[in-house]
Amino acid sequence: MTSIAPARSPRASGAATAVAEPFDDPFDDAFLGDYSPPAKPKSRFTIATSNVLRRRKPKLAYAAVVVVGVFSIVVAQLTLSIGLSNGAYEIESLQSQQKELDRTNGALTEQLDGLSAPQSLAANAESLGMVANVHPAYLRLSDGAVLGTPQTASGASGSLTNGQPSLVPNALTSGAAAAAAAAAQAATDAATTAAAASSATATGTPAPTAGTPVATPSAPSAAAATAAVPWQGQLPAPTTH
Amino acid sequence: MRSSRSTRNRVAVSIFIITAIVAVLVVRLVDIQVVQASDLNAQSYDKLSVPQTIYGPRGDIVDSNGVVLATTVIRYNVTASPKDVADYTPIDPATGGDLPDVTPTEAAAKIAAITGQTPEVVFALLTADKTSSYASIIKGIDLDKYRAIVALDIPWLYYETDPQRIYPNGSVAGNLVGFMGDDANGALVGTGGLEEKENQCLAGSDGLQTYEKGADGVAIPNTTVLDKEPVNGSTVVTTIDSDLQYYSQRVLAQQVTSTGAEWGSAIVTEVATGKILTAAQYPTPDPNNLDATDSNFWGAIAFSSPFEPGSTFKAESAATVVDAGKGTPSTGVIVPQRYKTPGGAVITDDESHDPEPMTLTGIMQVSSNVGISLMSAMLTDQQRYDYMKKFHLGEKTEVDFPGESEGIIRDPTQWDEQTLWNTSFGQGLTTTAAQVASMYQTLGNGGVRMPVTLVEGCRAADGTITEAPSTQGEQVVSATAAQQTVDMMQSVVEGGYAATLLKIPGYNVAAKTGTAEVSNGEGAYGGGYLTSVAGLAPAEAPKYVVSVNLMKPVTITNGSAAAPVFQKIMSQVLQKYRVLPSTVPPADYPTRY
Repeated sequence: MTSIAPARSPRASGAATAVAEPFDDPFDDAFLGDYSPPAKPKSRFTIATSNVLRRRKPKLAYAAVVVVGVFSIVVAQLTLSIGLSNGAYEIESLQSQQKELDRTNGALTEQLDGLSAPQSLAANAESLGMVANVHPAYLRLSDGAVLGTPQTASGASGSLTNGQPSLVPNALTSGAAAAAAAAAQAATDAATTAAAASSATATGTPAPTAGTPVATPSAPSAAAATAAVPWQGQLPAPTTH
Repeated sequence: MRSSRSTRNRVAVSIFIITAIVAVLVVRLVDIQVVQASDLNAQSYDKLSVPQTIYGPRGDIVDSNGVVLATTVIRYNVTASPKDVADYTPIDPATGGDLPDVTPTEAAAKIAAITGQTPEVVFALLTADKTSSYASIIKGIDLDKYRAIVALDIPWLYYETDPQRIYPNGSVAGNLVGFMGDDANGALVGTGGLEEKENQCLAGSDGLQTYEKGADGVAIPNTTVLDKEPVNGSTVVTTIDSDLQYYSQRVLAQQVTSTGAEWGSAIVTEVATGKILTAAQYPTPDPNNLDATDSNFWGAIAFSSPFEPGSTFKAESAATVVDAGKGTPSTGVIVPQRYKTPGGAVITDDESHDPEPMTLTGIMQVSSNVGISLMSAMLTDQQRYDYMKKFHLGEKTEVDFPGESEGIIRDPTQWDEQTLWNTSFGQGLTTTAAQVASMYQTLGNGGVRMPVTLVEGCRAADGTITEAPSTQGEQVVSATAAQQTVDMMQSVVEGGYAATLLKIPGYNVAAKTGTAEVSNGEGAYGGGYLTSVAGLAPAEAPKYVVSVNLMKPVTITNGSAAAPVFQKIMSQVLQKYRVLPSTVPPADYPTRY
């Protein structure tokens, strides 16, 4: 804790010999002798005054900053790791949710593919009384000419299945198509009955789930899918050219 | 002095002991941290880490509109650990409280009610070997049943996922999509049809990731390592229109069954592109249930079964004659009913008639074997052979379908006297249905043969298409010769024997009927007839080819058996693709001169 305080050095006065040096160092004299150059005006060592010592006294603020700093680092670290592990649980839960949704999506896609198979479309269309018109006619817009011979579609020639759906078999939908047809029929009956009773409440009639194998299906039953859905938006504007 | 020495001794001993302890610790440290480090790390990692398969499913096969013809779905296998089978206490999902205990017998009944097995069967599976820790209860149940069983909350049941291949459209294009089977190593691969041909494109590969689990099995953050990237299979995009394919199969099936034919095939090709829109056949396998169909019909007849085409081949002969400048639709020869060739072979026409001056158009209209032979004889054998090769007959189509046949066109030096003449009307050579359709596509497309296309390409997840087939056409005969041949074939629809069955109101149709004798397999004819119709519409600017073949029909034994199928399919094609009705009168070349 020695320090240099040049202003108070006795050598500053330029005295030739050492007089009453407070810390008279024997080596100092032995080393330098009387050949102290006047250009060196101060001793290397001196007592630190109380003034200097007061400046170096540790302050409470520093300690407080350090303690608070350490504490906040610990808290931050803790919060971060709690956050991370919470995140891990959240990720886990979301991932399993996603997996379940993916599975449901897969099952619904499969059901949709089955319902949109030509066999099932043809069977369902015919169960609704639809027939194809095998005599297309065209109206040419440029001169209004009718091309082809328009004829009414008839049940016999227009039938796609001709009552022989097994000609183009589909092991996946043979059961489902029949069930869907039956369910559609049931839904139509239900709707008709309901309409007769009260036309206002007819639309929401839950269709019976005929042929549905499991009590709690992940996908809506075929019957629900084929039940009439009331139009809720604006009617589409016709696009005229 | 004494005390100072004992102090030094103590210090020395302490230093020695400390050094020794430190040395032991260092040795141990090095042993654990360096020598055994990898073993110990591996052990601890094994305890913490959970490997997880990331499923890379096989790709779909879709039609040209994206309708899925083949896809992979997840099914579930339920297994049990019989040695753990005991009473259990389910938890009420509503309240979280315990419900009454369930005995294995009751559990078996609950499982059976969902799977459709009998309770006795399930109970027997659970108790067959009480020391075992694995017993399969049921395989391949769907998601609804799986969730229902999971909801039973039975602690000794385990679940596996089991990807399976399904074909949502059943037998629609079932002859084309093919089927799956086991390869030499027991792995599931495509073993028929497009599943086989496009196996490389479709195959996915499962990936693997590993994470470290905490005490409750949840992944420790930042420990998930992807060891192997999963690869999803790509999608095979075909040129098939599944709705049209269904319609064609239905029409064909009715006619095959009502005429008692062995089999039938119907092809629809787009003239401008050579794309096969439909390759229907009957019987067609349902890939979901192959065993319901005779295994002879599991493939695609259109590619695999060559036959002597008969009179539909006269279109090729006529185009050849016109292209070589040896005749026109209005020029012809005197055609006797029976003709003895200079080499001694005998050709006859089916219907008896006096020698008549028929034009090439007339020869086509009445399908005269003698007439077309006399016209073809104006070309050398080599010329005729070269034209056949230019039509790509006698070689596989570009589709290269599994099991595809090349057909047989012998070198002209090997033609005997009878074959030499017969080849002009489609006997003595064999073609596949796909080759016949391609021949008509060439004639409809101004003589430019487009590659026969069944697969548009292999579509990766990012939408890029690879393996797109060539779209480079080849001029086989001149545009004039091609269109004149099509026009000549209109006379068949206007006045041939099957005219009433072939006409489509509003459209000019060009078609040729065929009734070919079928070889009995012993070098002679007599096995029945292959009846066929191949044609184009609208004739003035052909857009679609329809080619129908019925093998050995019983109730009708000429082209009239195939004509209604042609007429219905072509009508549907014209309607479906919004082809405008013809506004010009049909071509009217003279049939006699």
